[in-house]
Amino acid sequence: MSAEVAIVGYGRTPYSRNKPGERSYTVDEYLAWAAELALNSARMSKNDFDGQGLGVAHAEVAHTVNWSAAVAEVLGISPQVLLRADQGGASAGSLLIRASAMIRAGIVDRVLVLGADTPLSMPSVAPGLPLSPERTRGVFWDFQGPFGVMGAGAQFALIQQRYMHEHPVTIEHLGKVAVTARYHASLNPAAIYRKPFTIDEYVNSRMLSDPIRLLDCVPIVNGGLAYIVTSAETARKITDRPVYLLGAGEANNYYRGSRSLPDVTYTGFADSAPRALKTAGVEPKQLDFLQPYDDYPFIVSMTIEDFGFCKKGQGGKFMEEHDLRFNGDFPLLTDGGQLSGGQPGGAIGGFAPLIEAVTQLRGEAGVRQVKDARLGAACGFGGIPYGRPGRTCIAMIFGNEA
Amino acid sequence: MASSTKDKPVPQITDQTRPFWTAGKQGKLMLQKCGKCGTFNFFPKPWCVECGSRDLAWTEARPFGTVYTFTISRNVSMNYPGWEGDLPVLMCLIDLDDGARTYGQVTDCRPEDMKIGMRVRAYFEDISDEASIPRFRPVQVAGQT
Repeated sequence: MSAEVAIVGYGRTPYSRNKPGERSYTVDEYLAWAAELALNSARMSKNDFDGQGLGVAHAEVAHTVNWSAAVAEVLGISPQVLLRADQGGASAGSLLIRASAMIRAGIVDRVLVLGADTPLSMPSVAPGLPLSPERTRGVFWDFQGPFGVMGAGAQFALIQQRYMHEHPVTIEHLGKVAVTARYHASLNPAAIYRKPFTIDEYVNSRMLSDPIRLLDCVPIVNGGLAYIVTSAETARKITDRPVYLLGAGEANNYYRGSRSLPDVTYTGFADSAPRALKTAGVEPKQLDFLQPYDDYPFIVSMTIEDFGFCKKGQGGKFMEEHDLRFNGDFPLLTDGGQLSGGQPGGAIGGFAPLIEAVTQLRGEAGVRQVKDARLGAACGFGGIPYGRPGRTCIAMIFGNEA
Repeated sequence: MASSTKDKPVPQITDQTRPFWTAGKQGKLMLQKCGKCGTFNFFPKPWCVECGSRDLAWTEARPFGTVYTFTISRNVSMNYPGWEGDLPVLMCLIDLDDGARTYGQVTDCRPEDMKIGMRVRAYFEDISDEASIPRFRPVQVAGQT
């Protein structure tokens, strides 16, 4: 895959907490807004995508058949290829992998990839329970909701509790992730929460579902993000700052151990990250930064282990021993992550790490710029399976040299 | 420790899942056992997730298990308001002795007494005319109070 495709533009709309009195935007409006920002960044127009590719991430609020075609219709774009991803926070990465395959196969030369959602505008029958059919009916819900499972907070708390039981990972280790994310958010005007806090404030934040605390949780926002991927050849004509996809790995429905009684302290990154690194011909220590999927902080620790930065169980210690700030020796979540940046719905959050990786490698991160960044990794992590962490884990290695 | 079933979700029972819900009415824990490889599957699957055989037979499982992990839910989130009266909800992943893992609420236990590795036993609570659901209580171990 080495350097055959590149990202040439990206956009992220302002996020909204949808407070009373604020102008409320629809998913379609966010999609167009994010697309406009990406097209401006690439100096392209929507007409450049007639006969090309359009990818859209499944939006929960707009759950519908023919979603990708409906988006093409409202935007007035006539692509020859439509891609739709329904892999939650891994959708941005899965669309990149599929778009890249289409480009390498010569079917299209460029793909506009969009994601937006307005979870705070979603009608709901229960606190925080969106109307997505998957969450409200079917065997998957029937064997969780009536049992008393409280959704993501409880589901991930169960995994974190087991992880901390088996491995020497402490609350203070995880707090460092949240504190660092907030520090970076203080440097990023686009982040939704920007006032720094301390480890003590993290530890003492309200317990929601032991051991998950309030400051372990991503704030949900309305918003949209977009990127444009083209062949490397086209990329070099369009921009002097292409960001190449050097390697990618995707793991779906990963199990460690038996399917009946799996070890939940591993994520699918144990499978996908080594493949991404191998394709790119890169060792973990060569990476100038990591943009993990930070919903929740312990997932970041597992991700660091499963990428191979350290052994299983040593993620906490690894973070303790490294400076995670943008100017430190292991820059992490340099945009504030989703923890402080915000998550525009579970399906769209995965655009943020990808776009921050591209921003850094184009040297466009301003005061939070990682100096001389050449190589970086970004993660997609999507879906909550029964009693395990993420359904899809996508690792992506980017570089600004072919 | 009966809890209110008002304003809590009830399952949409299908022909696939009915044996589980109705067995609970008789106080029995029924799971799908694979006729080919012997794996107990849970939650209900269309074929065995280990070997792919569709030969799944509803089989009574032992109502005992071990707490694999737990959390103490202190608010209602992504579920129905009827759970408010049960807070804090002690939610676990429980490894059943027959080799399947299930979400399960532990009752009759103080939150501070919850431990990974704790032995638990299923009991059943009616949640609708057709369905009864397993919850779990700590098994009293000799020598402990």
